[in-house]
Amino acid sequence: MGGYGDVQCIDENGIRLDGRTKDEVRPVSIETGVVPVADGSARIRWGLNDCIAAVYGPMEAHPRKIQRQDRAVLDVRYNMAPFSTTDRIRPGFNRRSREISKVTAEALESVVLTELYPRSKIRVEIEIICAEAGTRCAGITAASVALAHAGIPMTDMVVSVASGKVHDIVVCDLNKEEDNYGEADLPMGILPNTGELVFLQMDGDLSPEQFQEAWDYNMEAAKVIHEEMVRALKGGDE
Amino acid sequence: MMSIPLVPNLLRSHLAELALEDKRHDGRQRFEGRDVELEINCLPRAEGSARVRMGDTIVLAGVKFQIMTPYPDRPNEGGLMCSAEVRPVAGRNWEAGPPSAESIELGRVVDRGIRESGCINTEDLCIIPGEKAWQVILDVFAVSDDGNLFDAFGLAAIAALRSATVPAERFEVGEDMPLDVSKTPIMCSYHKVGGRFVYDADKREELGGDERIHITLGDDDHVHSLQKGLKGIFTAAEFADIMDEARSRCAELRDLVNEKLEGE
Repeated sequence: MGGYGDVQCIDENGIRLDGRTKDEVRPVSIETGVVPVADGSARIRWGLNDCIAAVYGPMEAHPRKIQRQDRAVLDVRYNMAPFSTTDRIRPGFNRRSREISKVTAEALESVVLTELYPRSKIRVEIEIICAEAGTRCAGITAASVALAHAGIPMTDMVVSVASGKVHDIVVCDLNKEEDNYGEADLPMGILPNTGELVFLQMDGDLSPEQFQEAWDYNMEAAKVIHEEMVRALKGGDE
Repeated sequence: MMSIPLVPNLLRSHLAELALEDKRHDGRQRFEGRDVELEINCLPRAEGSARVRMGDTIVLAGVKFQIMTPYPDRPNEGGLMCSAEVRPVAGRNWEAGPPSAESIELGRVVDRGIRESGCINTEDLCIIPGEKAWQVILDVFAVSDDGNLFDAFGLAAIAALRSATVPAERFEVGEDMPLDVSKTPIMCSYHKVGGRFVYDADKREELGGDERIHITLGDDDHVHSLQKGLKGIFTAAEFADIMDEARSRCAELRDLVNEKLEGE
């Protein structure tokens, strides 16, 4: 967090660079079946973010050392395509993508009924095709839809969204400029049916009141996104 | 990619039986391709991009630019780099880890077809001789692999290049301009399935087939790259046959690219 220069992300009328008010979510659209060879897949377009998630499995877990006798393991990979950002990303795993893969796997393992598939693995592949801040949230959300599309039993889907602070104003669902020049970022993974959390990160600087405001924004945003997730799954792709 | 030994044996004999009656398992003619969808400028962060769908095979190509220092022996030239990634998202048999031999072959064959056609003049990429030049980086990316990634990659690659804009303003070295791409090389691939070559094999035909031949033809039918892959023996007559086919198919696909770009 912390930016460079003095990019004005919100004008005096409270309108953000992309035309939203401070409590608005970017436009979200989800479709399923975008990777026809996968067992389940989803694409989420969220602002300029464009993310594909594919699920393969449950399948035999190998190498054997990753097997668990009592449950399935989730093998999650988050990756940014080389052309997904302004400056090209060199292909290959890096520390950032490894960490995001780890926390994503842990979030999803909290809802997938892994004990139904001992000694197996479920592969979850998250590919960021175009990035505009909040790609980890887009990835977790898309992966949840892809798991549901694959027919993997879950207690709930995870909706992930990040609110934060820019110019000392708390705003919902950070965009690229707000992420770059803002002062705080609070991504959360929410179970929309219970309001419980399975994923939480934060960096930056928030007062207790600001923290609560960002938290509440995320909870409200999750409802909007969850509606689109359900629509995509029920509407079907065929 | 992993091989799956048992199923292909059954699949092989099934495909061979069909071949006796000159049939394919999905009902196509020997040299009939799957429907091709081509979309241009579909990746907002890339300077040029394309998405290709052939049946259930889906790929993306994105062009990015970087500023490089020209090589000392070629101070007036920029560079072109093509890399192909088949990540595990694209199919259950593609594994994570460093690029496999298959995906390296894919990238190199696509790269050769484009490079050797001379469609990009590397001297045009020079900004300040000996100091600054453009490096054009073309990344092709598989979303879904249902066979014949080669042709899908080749088509997406040239379409992305032809749609590219040199981002000179962002790098503060002049005004944005279209990337000059003077030719449209197109790749056509043929797989030996059931003892004869078929065009545009899908995943099952790849698994239950033998060798493959990739042909890249430029404008005026000039040959720019060839590659024979996998184990198998073919005759001169067989090759002449598919070369003839490739000429007409490449021309059709080239028309498709031209049509899409004119529509932009």
